[in-house]
Amino acid sequence: MEHWFVFSETEMSAIGLSFKIALCCAILILPIAILMGWWLARKTFRGKSLIEGFINLPLVLPPVATGFILLLLLGTKGLIGQFIYEWLGIRIAFTYYAAVIASMIVSFPLAVRAIRLSIEMVDPGFEEAAKTLGASTFQSFIRVTLPLALPGIISGFVLSFARSLGEFGATIIFAGNISGETQTIPLALFNQIQIPGMESSAFRLLLVAVVFSFLAMSVSEYLVKKLHKRN
Amino acid sequence: MHALSAHLKRKKGDFSLDIKVDFIQGITGVFGPSGAGKTTLMHLLVGLERPDEGYLKIEETTLVDTSTKTFEPARNRKIGYVFQEGRLFPHMTVRKNLLFAVKYIQKEKQVIEFTELVNLLELNNLLEKRPKQLSGGEKQRVAIGRALLSSPKLLLMDEPFSSLDVKLRRQIIPYLIKINRKFNIPMLVVSHDLPDLLSLTRELFLLRNGRVVGHGNYLDLLEQENMLELMRGAGLMNVIQFKVKKHDNENGLSILSNKAASEEISIEREMVLDCCQIGDEMNVSLRPEDIALTLAKIPNISIRNQLPGILTKVIQIENRNYCLVDVGFKLLVSITHASLLKMELSEGKKVWCLFKSMALQTNI
Repeated sequence: MEHWFVFSETEMSAIGLSFKIALCCAILILPIAILMGWWLARKTFRGKSLIEGFINLPLVLPPVATGFILLLLLGTKGLIGQFIYEWLGIRIAFTYYAAVIASMIVSFPLAVRAIRLSIEMVDPGFEEAAKTLGASTFQSFIRVTLPLALPGIISGFVLSFARSLGEFGATIIFAGNISGETQTIPLALFNQIQIPGMESSAFRLLLVAVVFSFLAMSVSEYLVKKLHKRN
Repeated sequence: MHALSAHLKRKKGDFSLDIKVDFIQGITGVFGPSGAGKTTLMHLLVGLERPDEGYLKIEETTLVDTSTKTFEPARNRKIGYVFQEGRLFPHMTVRKNLLFAVKYIQKEKQVIEFTELVNLLELNNLLEKRPKQLSGGEKQRVAIGRALLSSPKLLLMDEPFSSLDVKLRRQIIPYLIKINRKFNIPMLVVSHDLPDLLSLTRELFLLRNGRVVGHGNYLDLLEQENMLELMRGAGLMNVIQFKVKKHDNENGLSILSNKAASEEISIEREMVLDCCQIGDEMNVSLRPEDIALTLAKIPNISIRNQLPGILTKVIQIENRNYCLVDVGFKLLVSITHASLLKMELSEGKKVWCLFKSMALQTNI
């Protein structure tokens, strides 16, 4: 019983890695998702629904299939990956970077959706007003739209963070299950469940996963409520 | 020199707008029913919409000219625009809203000073509040202040009264007149409410179905064919400028004079109380329905104001007659057709205009 709450080295590395990958993923996604969310919220153009469909594809595609597509594209023998490997000598698949990329692809639609909805809620009239007062499109976005859409941007950030914490299918295909390199909490959990006698380790990882996800969601809820009150 | 001159064309579905406007200093009103193209016109002037064809000049600067493919975006136009709904930024305090445009103006080009404006619009106690804590009238004042602090060459206002109740309207009008006088900024005010507009200005553009159907002084417009009919539904009004001559506190009256009129008139003291002192000019409004016509002065009657004049024009619309009477200035009087026949009124006849002190309302 006394070993139930002592984390092993593998577990600690999985927890640390999960956190690092999730944070990297959420930070890297944010600017792209804001740009894309604004574009989809404010512009109308031909083929818009095609682009929306493409972005949302990872939401409905089995993550394993997403991982497989990534492998076909970015693997060392992949469509793009072979050139990156040959010319730059960089291997992406089965590395830490692959884990981040896999997380980003599956979280992206969630972040875009949250941010886009919140930008749609901002009356474009405020941007018009800013422009008549001398602001450029970019300035009116930064000074007016962005602060007003902040609740949605925060939830976009937290959603992609949380989604990345839970990412399994695409990661295991594209990044593998390498301890200390790509083995995040869900992958480690998957390992421990399969090995007899590792129930306590599985339990600890489960607990951490629940606490992390719960904290992320409640912090975002709290911030969003506070911001709504302010505006 | 024109403050603004423009000829703009724009087609939107079934609606087409083809408007030529120009005006000089002072306040100019744009009046038209909803759907006449008032807001489209504003958007074209301020740069939120592009015309299909036409030009726009402010002072001598060309901002839009489709023939040379010139199109200055809204932010470079130096036109202050007060939106119908105010559009104050909800995440900023009143102070930050007011100062929004200051970043985009070089210091030496700043025409209006912050403290001066805050004092003029009486915004001192509101500066740290957020827009949602403000009343409708306060919001409107902040929106006007924000537009003015962008140091505009011209101020456009879209239905500045529509979101305010009657009492607040009377409060905002003096501010607008003060701004126009103090900063010498030409103003274009759009409204579908004629009495409100007339309390600000008598220079009007009448809009109908995307076209200017009349332009000029309100009273001159009334004499033009069909104009009366166009304006009738909006509530016709006489707006006359008087000088406060003396107060008769004993009887609760104030005496006003107009140098063109032969007689002085009296108004309820409390109407003058909170706006003007002796010697001040003030605008007084009077509904055409509240004036009666007689053929002679009537000595024993409770109606205090009796002005002699010449009936210059009679316009019949259905069974009502609108009579323009020159009493020194022009008064619009509305009487029934039956009265006209009974009194044998015709153009050129001498008449007396009678109205009660209580029928007079002050605008400033």
